[in-house]
Amino acid sequence: MAMLTFEQKYRVRGGTLVGGDLFDFWIGPFWIGFFGVTTAFFTFLGTGLILYGAAIQGTWNPWLINIAPPDLAYGLRLAPMREGGLWQWITFCAIGAFVSWIFRQAEISRKLGMSYHIPVAYSVAVFAYVTLVVIRPLLMGAWGHGFPYGIWSHLDWVSNVGYQHLHFHYNPAHMIAVTFFFTTVLALALHGALVLSAANPPKGEVMKAAEHENAYFRDLIGYSIGTLGIHRLGLFVALSAGFWSAVCIVISGPFWTRGWPEWWGWWLNLPIWRN
Amino acid sequence: MTAFVQYQNIFTRIQVRPPAPYPGVPLPPEDIAREGTPVFNHLFGRFGDAQVGPIYLGIMGVLSIAFGTLAFVIIGLNMLASVQWNIIHFVRDLFWLALEPPPAKYGLQFPPLRDGGWWLVAGFFLTLSVLLWWARTYRRARALGMGTHVAWAFAAAIWLYLVLGFIRPIAMGSWSEAVPFGIFPHLDWTAAFSIRYGNLFYNPFHALSIVFLYGSTLLFAMHGATILALGRYGGERELELIADRGTAAERGMLFWRWCMGFNASFESIHRWAWWFAVLCPLTGGIGILLTGTVVDNWYLWAVERHFAPAYPQLWAPVLDPALAQGAAR
Amino acid sequence: MRPLKLSWTAQALIVLGLLLVGLIILLTFERPPVRTEQIGFRGVAMEQLQNPRTARQVAARNVVPAAPEAADTDGDKARDIYENVQVLGELSAAQFGRLMVAMTEWIVPQHIRDNPDSANGCAYCHNVQNMASDEVYTKGVTRRMLQMTRTINADWGNHVAQTGVTCYTCHRGQPVPAYAWGRLEGIDNRAGLAGPTGQNRPTAAINYSSLPFDPFTPFLLRDDDIRNITPRTWLPGNNADDVRIAEWTYSLMVHMSQGLGVNCTFCHNSRAFGSWEQSPPQRLTAWHGIRMARAVNNEYVEPLTPLWVRNPRGPADFQTSHARLGPQGDALKVNCATCHQGVNRPLLGAPMLRDYPELNLVGRGPLRTSEATAPAGASRN
Repeated sequence: MAMLTFEQKYRVRGGTLVGGDLFDFWIGPFWIGFFGVTTAFFTFLGTGLILYGAAIQGTWNPWLINIAPPDLAYGLRLAPMREGGLWQWITFCAIGAFVSWIFRQAEISRKLGMSYHIPVAYSVAVFAYVTLVVIRPLLMGAWGHGFPYGIWSHLDWVSNVGYQHLHFHYNPAHMIAVTFFFTTVLALALHGALVLSAANPPKGEVMKAAEHENAYFRDLIGYSIGTLGIHRLGLFVALSAGFWSAVCIVISGPFWTRGWPEWWGWWLNLPIWRN
Repeated sequence: MTAFVQYQNIFTRIQVRPPAPYPGVPLPPEDIAREGTPVFNHLFGRFGDAQVGPIYLGIMGVLSIAFGTLAFVIIGLNMLASVQWNIIHFVRDLFWLALEPPPAKYGLQFPPLRDGGWWLVAGFFLTLSVLLWWARTYRRARALGMGTHVAWAFAAAIWLYLVLGFIRPIAMGSWSEAVPFGIFPHLDWTAAFSIRYGNLFYNPFHALSIVFLYGSTLLFAMHGATILALGRYGGERELELIADRGTAAERGMLFWRWCMGFNASFESIHRWAWWFAVLCPLTGGIGILLTGTVVDNWYLWAVERHFAPAYPQLWAPVLDPALAQGAAR
Repeated sequence: MRPLKLSWTAQALIVLGLLLVGLIILLTFERPPVRTEQIGFRGVAMEQLQNPRTARQVAARNVVPAAPEAADTDGDKARDIYENVQVLGELSAAQFGRLMVAMTEWIVPQHIRDNPDSANGCAYCHNVQNMASDEVYTKGVTRRMLQMTRTINADWGNHVAQTGVTCYTCHRGQPVPAYAWGRLEGIDNRAGLAGPTGQNRPTAAINYSSLPFDPFTPFLLRDDDIRNITPRTWLPGNNADDVRIAEWTYSLMVHMSQGLGVNCTFCHNSRAFGSWEQSPPQRLTAWHGIRMARAVNNEYVEPLTPLWVRNPRGPADFQTSHARLGPQGDALKVNCATCHQGVNRPLLGAPMLRDYPELNLVGRGPLRTSEATAPAGASRN
């Protein structure tokens, strides 16, 4: 069995939230738990529905499979399977699987005596997804406002939603989200590189530790946030990117129907400099 | 509430301070001394390390900051000049203002200063500043006997910067292809770039770059959360745990192994991180460089490569009226 | 370590700042419910969005004035009764009077019509002692505008269809339509350090973006190439347009969308802006609209410039605040918003022309006395 050398002593019972010992076991490297079962259920069902949709569509080319939401005319009702109903059930399965995964992470955290940062962080990503396919469609009054499931087709959706607002880059929350995304990549590059550069010094040098990490960053920019701080910063910027992404799409439509550049009119027309 | 803040490791409740700030590990004899008296800042200490400073400036640091400031000032003065030196309009219109690259008619020549010349000057000094800063990231690592991973990661970002403002314009034969300096104007450029070249979403390198952008965010969320969740085992002592795997590393590894069937180690997660972060600008730069030079219309390229989805036609197809009249306008 | 304590000033500033941010958010956004209309295949997100509260205001702005009772078409023609009738000669006397009254209501401001000196507004265009006289310049302008209206309704059916246009479509009770444009080089008249770029100045006509602020001169006056996207091939080398040129087209399109109260997906599937095959049929109507605006500007508006230069504030006796010229001293010209005024179908599609058959009898022959007729050869579509 695929077990790490030190793994046996950690494989003890306990930590579950639901089901007691019933699902407290491993298959291969995976720990199962009640939420592992529900994850698997929703995953297999959802994937099966996607394959069914592909069969209806008549393509097995993964680039071209497109599971589209219903027409807006269906509003918030259930649509026939072939006309968006599949999308609705796949969305249901996806949310079921994602939420199960959150709780599974919480159970594993408990099992290993860790805090809940990972499930909390993951739930921000799930929140962003739910915003796209549930909250915004609810606010706009039709499931058809969700995005289609397809590798390239969802990009057509993104493009057209953007041009519904003439120039999406002027969306202030989009600006904040993109800034957080870029900052996250920058911070991740710096963190990864700093650890690697301390652990992998040039030939003949001894391995370095936090003292050198701090010295390097203080020499470079005058400040080193520290080994703990960088992970707080990283988590913050990464979750902010996801959170503001959700904000930027939920305001597009429900809270702004016009061109995004026009939103900035309030700034130009402030009484302090309006002619 | 207090217990939550303390145990969830979001803020530092007890700031431990040495009698004096740490001056830093010794520098090699050929280096000059570090600048500034280090101080402690309470707010910084809440989130990260409380110590601010010292900094090693050196000749390259000073020159880099000077050239960077020069570029910044040139851009700012150009914006100010573009509103007739009206400070109020400058503040009001700041996000709209720009220093634009030269028009297409100048090709790769040096245009008059007021017609894009300043853009070249500012770009030159900014590039000089960035390259000097790159050398600094390299030299500071070597001075401390460390690897040069930061420098090479930074080089990937410089690659994207140079593709946008230097390499691709040269390949296209005109500075006018480059990005303006300005908040909204550079966003206009980005949108117009995608429209002109037939939808950048169908550029596979753009897609890859976004995968690495989102992937990096995912990775940092996973990694940051893992380390913070291991706070009570000292999970943030990553280098010690790389050298001598302790229970924090074991629990962190087992978390992901049990969760998704696969795990990195305390060292390899940083290799994943480095590659994801580096590949984002690397693939992005390739995608930009190919646009207009190799592929002029990404959507049509995607159609030819059979990966653009087709949708049912809901209306009778419209014919191009210009074809009927013989003039493509 | 002592807990973090903020001074009262700092706390007050933080609270004030948060209140300000909250206020901006509350005041600058809209709210659900919103109205949506699907255009393309489901999931492609080609949709029109509308705020129903704004839509009510728009509806209130687009009420067509009640049409007076139809006029008797029998009897002598206007040309036989009145002197110096050049474009309305085919109308009966009753029709002639009806149209004069309607046009006065459509174009002469209320306060001038209420002014006893104006003879119910007639004096805005006429010397009331000698109605046949052409001495008030607005009469000459009106002749050309009537011919323009007739041309639009007769020759531009591919844009205005059967609905057609009347004077009111643009004028709405004002001597100068609310949405008109003049050249804007003036605001880009830059100091020595920075030359003009034609962009990065927010104006309402381009949705306050920093795109080129005057897309009208190149595309609605000159006929510069609007198309930038290489059609039919992905291979480079067939298209010299650069990104900056594409911004001009983008700016025009932003204006069109805003002028019509629609978004880009009204006429395009944005995944392939250039593709006619994937474009909704509205794009064809819009294509003709661009050419119509261009023709109107070149054949009817620009040639009248000398009259407006001599009378920049309207007729000598009834000057108003409406400028007849743009900031650069050129004639105020039409763009999409001039007729559409933020609505996809002007006046919400009300078939106003149907009630004014007089407008279809306007003669388009050369004018005998006007000093402003179309230059020869300016009839490009």
